[in-house]
Amino acid sequence: MATEHPLVLPGDTIDPSLIPTHKKQPLRLGPGLRHVPPSTILPTVAGQLVTDLRKNSMWVEYNGGRYIPSQGDLVIGQVARSATDLYFVTITPYTANASLPHLSFEGASKKTRPQLLPGALVYARVTLANRHMDPELECVSATTGKAEGLGPLAGGMAFDVSLGLARRLLMARSREEGGVEVLEQLGAEGLAFETAVGRNGRVWVGSDSPKTVVLVGRALTETDEKALGVEQQRKLVKKLIREMR
Amino acid sequence: MATSASQTLAIPGQLLGSASKYQPGPGTHIHESNLYSSLLGAVHVVQPAKAPGPVKRLTKITPAAPPAELPTISVSRSGVSEKREVLPEVGNTVLCRVVRIMPRQAVVAILICGDTVLDAEWQGLIRVQDVRATEKDRVKIYESFRPGDIVRAEVISLGDQASYYLSTARNELGVIMATSEAGNTMYPVSWKEYRDPETGLGEPRKVAKPY
Repeated sequence: MATEHPLVLPGDTIDPSLIPTHKKQPLRLGPGLRHVPPSTILPTVAGQLVTDLRKNSMWVEYNGGRYIPSQGDLVIGQVARSATDLYFVTITPYTANASLPHLSFEGASKKTRPQLLPGALVYARVTLANRHMDPELECVSATTGKAEGLGPLAGGMAFDVSLGLARRLLMARSREEGGVEVLEQLGAEGLAFETAVGRNGRVWVGSDSPKTVVLVGRALTETDEKALGVEQQRKLVKKLIREMR
Repeated sequence: MATSASQTLAIPGQLLGSASKYQPGPGTHIHESNLYSSLLGAVHVVQPAKAPGPVKRLTKITPAAPPAELPTISVSRSGVSEKREVLPEVGNTVLCRVVRIMPRQAVVAILICGDTVLDAEWQGLIRVQDVRATEKDRVKIYESFRPGDIVRAEVISLGDQASYYLSTARNELGVIMATSEAGNTMYPVSWKEYRDPETGLGEPRKVAKPY
């Protein structure tokens, strides 16, 4: 695994044999890499260097501490307060709040809009994020006008996880590429719940039974804290189910 | 116009004369029909221009004696030779630096008014509806200005206590100098884009048309 994805530290020189080449597409640099003209590529964070030969791109997989919003991310935020036509939503602690317009929900007009109280959780998409301004969110797709899963999250509970686990949970093939299968395994054991994963390190779990919510939350936080592999996750799930019954 | 510069020094609050004998000039104020100094500086008395002599026509209707026949008394700070402080007025073209951008306005610091470099930086505000003349509701501040840009703007209002209101809604107004994310000075390529010569990347701005 180490030879496949070498560990890089900030400022390391990258072996030219690792840089993918493609006949037609230009090389794309993802997060964690920086291009210093004319021809130097520098890692800026410590992590594993991953390359995708098909798309001719390379990036660094790292488990960072603080979430930095970027456009298009799905995040779970908590409403802090309401202003005239916006909600102020906290995405990351100890930073400026993001703004979410009142009308940015599915089917919202001035007369019919959701009334969110401070403390409510929302699943939103980041529309504007740059280092000069406070981030802006939306709960409806701007092109189609449909929510597509976004909006207020009722009931359940939100758990904090590391950014790396949140990213792996959001991958399309989380078992092969990310090494997390705990949610699928819990579902296979017969528990009924739904989840929403926020890129900012928060996972919301909702279910009819509070025991299920707590169990799923515990499974996720233990997977995160102890860095469990797929097999260990299976054992953990079995242990938790046994404890519950 | 005869100018007599008396070298007496006045301190703020000092009585200069009566309002019936002098006209108030810069650096003075009137309180209960008396003129008092507002600044610490030298007192200047300017005699008014002599009115033209009476016209020798019996049928001419002359207005009542014009009111400004009194000498004007003013106080100016010592060391500043007869130079009044320049303030931005409505209609002036100013150069300013963008300090902060917010979703509906950009806060700027006014540096140069006309051709004069100002002593103090005055705060200005460019609202999102004053950035462009067309499609005002679809303007995005992040694609028009960034912090650190130098902008040529026009004062449209003296505004409130905090800031002047400025506008860039003309072709020759807008960003005249910008630095890229990589730190290089960029050159303009169109009315809405600046380009970094070293990295080749473009950044959106509301570009001022060069003279």
